[in-house]
Amino acid sequence: MSVPNCMRCLTRPSAVATAALRPFTVPVSVSLTAAGRVAAFSTTPAQQATPQKGSKTPAGRMDARIKRMANGHVRVGKRLHVGGKKGGTRPKAPLPGERKAYRKRIQLSNSNALPVKDLAELDGEHMLSEKNVAKVLSLPTAVIDQLRTVEAFKPTQTWGLFRDPSLLIRPETVDLMNRMQDSVANKQTLRLVIDGDKLTGKSILLLQALTQAFLKDWIVINIPEAQELTAACTEYAPIPGTEPVQYMQQVYILKLIQAIRKANEKVLSRLTTAYAHPELPQHIPVSSPILALANAAKEPDSAWTVFSALWKELSSNIRGRPPILFALDGLHHIMKISKYRNAAFDLIHSHDLALIKLFTDYLSGQASLPNGGAIIAATSRNNCPVSASLELALEQRLATQNGEEPPAKKPYFKGYDSRVEGAMKSAQVLRIKGVSKLETRSLMEYWAASGLLRTTVDEVAVSEKWMLGGNGVLGEMERASLLTMRL
Amino acid sequence: MMAALGQQITGALRGSCRRPGFRRGCQASLEQQFQTLRLDSGANQKRLMTTGDYSDYQRAAEEQINAAPPLDLNSLRLAKHARAIPVSPSYFSRQSQFNDSYIVLQKLAQSFKNLPRIPTSDVERVNWSSLENIRQVLGEPIRASDYAKCMKLVKDLHAIHPQLKVKSVVDALEFFKHHTQGFTNVAKPIPIDKFGRAVGVGKRKSSVARAWVVEGTGEIIVNGKTLAEAFGRVHDRESAIWALRATDRVDKYNVWAVVEGGGTTGQAEALTLAVAKGLMAHEPALKPALRRAGCVTRDPRKVERKKAGHVKARKSPTWVKR
Repeated sequence: MSVPNCMRCLTRPSAVATAALRPFTVPVSVSLTAAGRVAAFSTTPAQQATPQKGSKTPAGRMDARIKRMANGHVRVGKRLHVGGKKGGTRPKAPLPGERKAYRKRIQLSNSNALPVKDLAELDGEHMLSEKNVAKVLSLPTAVIDQLRTVEAFKPTQTWGLFRDPSLLIRPETVDLMNRMQDSVANKQTLRLVIDGDKLTGKSILLLQALTQAFLKDWIVINIPEAQELTAACTEYAPIPGTEPVQYMQQVYILKLIQAIRKANEKVLSRLTTAYAHPELPQHIPVSSPILALANAAKEPDSAWTVFSALWKELSSNIRGRPPILFALDGLHHIMKISKYRNAAFDLIHSHDLALIKLFTDYLSGQASLPNGGAIIAATSRNNCPVSASLELALEQRLATQNGEEPPAKKPYFKGYDSRVEGAMKSAQVLRIKGVSKLETRSLMEYWAASGLLRTTVDEVAVSEKWMLGGNGVLGEMERASLLTMRL
Repeated sequence: MMAALGQQITGALRGSCRRPGFRRGCQASLEQQFQTLRLDSGANQKRLMTTGDYSDYQRAAEEQINAAPPLDLNSLRLAKHARAIPVSPSYFSRQSQFNDSYIVLQKLAQSFKNLPRIPTSDVERVNWSSLENIRQVLGEPIRASDYAKCMKLVKDLHAIHPQLKVKSVVDALEFFKHHTQGFTNVAKPIPIDKFGRAVGVGKRKSSVARAWVVEGTGEIIVNGKTLAEAFGRVHDRESAIWALRATDRVDKYNVWAVVEGGGTTGQAEALTLAVAKGLMAHEPALKPALRRAGCVTRDPRKVERKKAGHVKARKSPTWVKR
């Protein structure tokens, strides 16, 4: 056994022994092998002083590299590193999922931005009136929480630049909201696809529809990213007793039920069940609150059963049931063969996934909502798989709406999908383009009031941004004026 | 006395000596010289034979000689100097074109020095031959100082009032003009068609852009696409409309453009020039503003060609020791 102190240390009294006697000790080198012995004062960095052996701290990692002499003396100090990685002070690597969480975080407020004065708060009537076109209105706090719950905000949107989330009312917004209003009045189902070029504001229009539904006390179900359902990134299982086989996505649906429950709590708390649901794992008697039904989904395994029961209750033809908005973003992803495989290892069509089938049944008009409501899908043009049938269907519906001859299928092209055609055969298409100069001006005034735009908002500036943004494409204008700021 | 002088002059002009008795003595001495020679060849024999008849021949000749008539000195214009002076001062220079032209100019300047000159600002602008150029064209070693003096005269004569300028001056100045006259090369104005469009063409790198500029509200279509679709980079979009932006005309014109060749930067900057030219057709007064904004002059830089023995235009292969 080696002596705890080296010869040099022995020449002086031990630091511990004399700590009380000599408080002004000059730097004393303390043997690290003497566990628990701590220098009262040392000029060596704390990091190098007394690392716990085997600890995961940087100092502990460094411990492994400290040169120990045979007699127990430790050479600590500057060491020459030739090549390789320097030092033991590598920053801590983020935990698994931390990077993604940072990338996907949604920041809805920025305290550095100026608060915009005299900004009216949205209510249920604002988006119905033509005279509010080209106005920027702020979202009510309650609705912000609900929208956040249903993941209506996207990380790519520029909410994080402004003090409060606000929305620009466009003619398309008013058009869509009035169609939604009419669907409730006529107890019909609005089946609509929002299409348009990249960054024209399709997702924002969908968000406006969700906002209006929340404001009007609709029941809102939102699938924020359709690709999450078909990219084979969530668990799936065949639903027993279905022919042809359908697949449930338990974990996703459990999450969806929880989002529905949380976002629509105010509406759901007023409703009671009308049917007995013997298939549920938990006994829910008739006339019990629907929230109790939603709460029954505790395990992923029972999630689909609970969701089916919930949907049956909500979409039933009972007086007093509120209208439903079922929205989906990224339509192209559900109009193709999914990445999932069946027992025979064949690829599963997206429409064989139960949740997507539910959506497409309503979109195609096979099923309808007896109390009125809307099935709205938005396309995404940046992340957009090829779907020839969907593109053709969009063109055909648009041509029919405009009273033109719809384009025909290519006779020798084999990439069409009859199930997609069926799903899209009678939906309405709302194609959105760039905004007008009036709306641009209003938006730029909002930017300027938030302190983000430092030029005078005049005719020339509006025209310039409008032109730079590809004739009024909202996202491009934001890119050209906010995201590439030269301050 | 006069007669003797006249004879001498005549003799001098004939190149012979007329002193009496000289010829005979001369002949005699020649005879003696011949006699002293040892002549034994056949030719010399013959020569000796001919000399035997010489006295008869001489006698016949003396009978035919007549004196030249006396010269009338008054009719002769004797030169002032002993040596004749050449007509042109350039006589002794081997290459005399420049000097001749210079002399012509000097004479003209002297003779027209009293004609009125117009102010320099009103004089028609002309590209005069540079010294280097005139040296090359004539192939003569011209001094810079001579050239400078000459050009001073040229500019002086050129400033003569055009109505008083005679043809000889115009012809003399023609010699000093450069073979290309930049100031007479006026750009063809871009017309505005019946729809109010003016088409401008611009180039940059390998790109060529044509832009139809028309009065409007500030819409732009490039190759059938909006600016955002045509150029992904915001900087390129700003380049494309820079001519309108620099002159505050963004909301006054619409542009319909076609660009081809090259990459995105080249296309965007070709559009800058094309839009600027179209804009200048509508508002020529914007030219100085556009020039300050860098929208008028074409950037002449192009891809440098690859050279033999190089990896690229300038990059050399890595040096390898053997």
